[in-house]
Amino acid sequence: MSTIQISHLSKRFGQFPAVSDLSLEVPAGSVYGLLGPNGAGKTTVFKCVLGLSRPSEGEVLYDGDPFTPQTFQDIAYVPERSVLYEWMSVAEHVEMNRRAFARFEPARALELLRQFNIDPRKRARALSKGMRTAVMVALAFARNARFLVLDEPTSGLDPINQRHVLSLIVNEAARGNSVVFSSHQIGQVERAAERIAVIDRGRLVLEGMVDDLKADRKIVEGILPDATSSLDGVAGDPRIARVDRVERIVRLLVLSGSDDIATRLTQAGASGVRVLDLNLEDIFLYAVSPVNAEADAVVSGSTS
Amino acid sequence: MPAVLTVDSRSGVPIYLQIVEQVKRSVALGVLRAGEQLPTVKQLAVDLTINPNTVARAYRDLERDSVIETAPGRGSFVRGDGAVDSARSAAADVARDAFSVALREAKSVGLSRAEVRELVNASIDRWFPEEA
Repeated sequence: MSTIQISHLSKRFGQFPAVSDLSLEVPAGSVYGLLGPNGAGKTTVFKCVLGLSRPSEGEVLYDGDPFTPQTFQDIAYVPERSVLYEWMSVAEHVEMNRRAFARFEPARALELLRQFNIDPRKRARALSKGMRTAVMVALAFARNARFLVLDEPTSGLDPINQRHVLSLIVNEAARGNSVVFSSHQIGQVERAAERIAVIDRGRLVLEGMVDDLKADRKIVEGILPDATSSLDGVAGDPRIARVDRVERIVRLLVLSGSDDIATRLTQAGASGVRVLDLNLEDIFLYAVSPVNAEADAVVSGSTS
Repeated sequence: MPAVLTVDSRSGVPIYLQIVEQVKRSVALGVLRAGEQLPTVKQLAVDLTINPNTVARAYRDLERDSVIETAPGRGSFVRGDGAVDSARSAAADVARDAFSVALREAKSVGLSRAEVRELVNASIDRWFPEEA
């Protein structure tokens, strides 16, 4: 079982709290999506998980154990920015990884590079942004690591190669390994991730199973008799996280029990009441938007 | 078999539910027959590029609803006994839910009871014509 447990992690840079009291667990054999706006603290979380940055408070455990030099062998990392040596060829990077990591499989790396159409004789400086990402992905997935930490692993890739990376990710999970990845392409996280966490300004604002979040969170929309109609008795329901009103139109962000809320909105005199599904992008945007009733209370989806 | 299943990951419908509903529909329509083997959890996850645990959750639901059975080490199969019945009744549930949503919509846009009845009758005539 390859689990990553982050508990009460905080990281401050001087007075600036980059990450505050973050706790989450990446189960074995699972893909975990970490979402957040730019500057939310995702990369800081990754650096703490990788042992590249020392937490100000809290800890990260790997299968229940703290980080040791051996953990480097178990974790593969695709950083957001290229860490390739410009003057070295791709083949030399493969060789360097072979020397550094005990379980690294050069043949597997070369096969992945071939699938990405990358000539190993090329020097890093001759590679485009997408090709650099592909090289780092090929190196990471040849590591036979138990934990994969992927920061924007599809950045710059065309849709075919993006899907290929997603397949590699799913394959790792199917082999029992743990994958944490972040992407601004929410559709990819939505497809491959079982659970997600949304962090905003260093804090966890949402955590749960993607399927449960989609099943529970809905928009209930209706048209009120007039612009001053009262919503008393409906809007105070704790399952309603947010109320948006524009003239006679009212939209409720509902965390659960959407059918019941829809019925009550109809009883309150609203017409045209509809329940609308939310995809992960909508759920993410509501979680990080400024008018956010959940900002202080993490609402967790049910566990499996 | 994998070609029978597709998922729309952008949809607001949970992926595991999409799989459950498609398998039930396929069984109800005879596309999947009794005794037929489903892909393994891992295989379907890789084919659809979705999380293996999501597929496992769908299979658990299908087992609970007596549509499939899983033999350890052999795989998952469409049940011989009652799979079609349970799949049909599940399909009826989907139809009932869709009906209920349609009627709520009709009510919310202010149609009268008589108007709704007229609509329903017209739909029945269209989709279930009386045999001459």
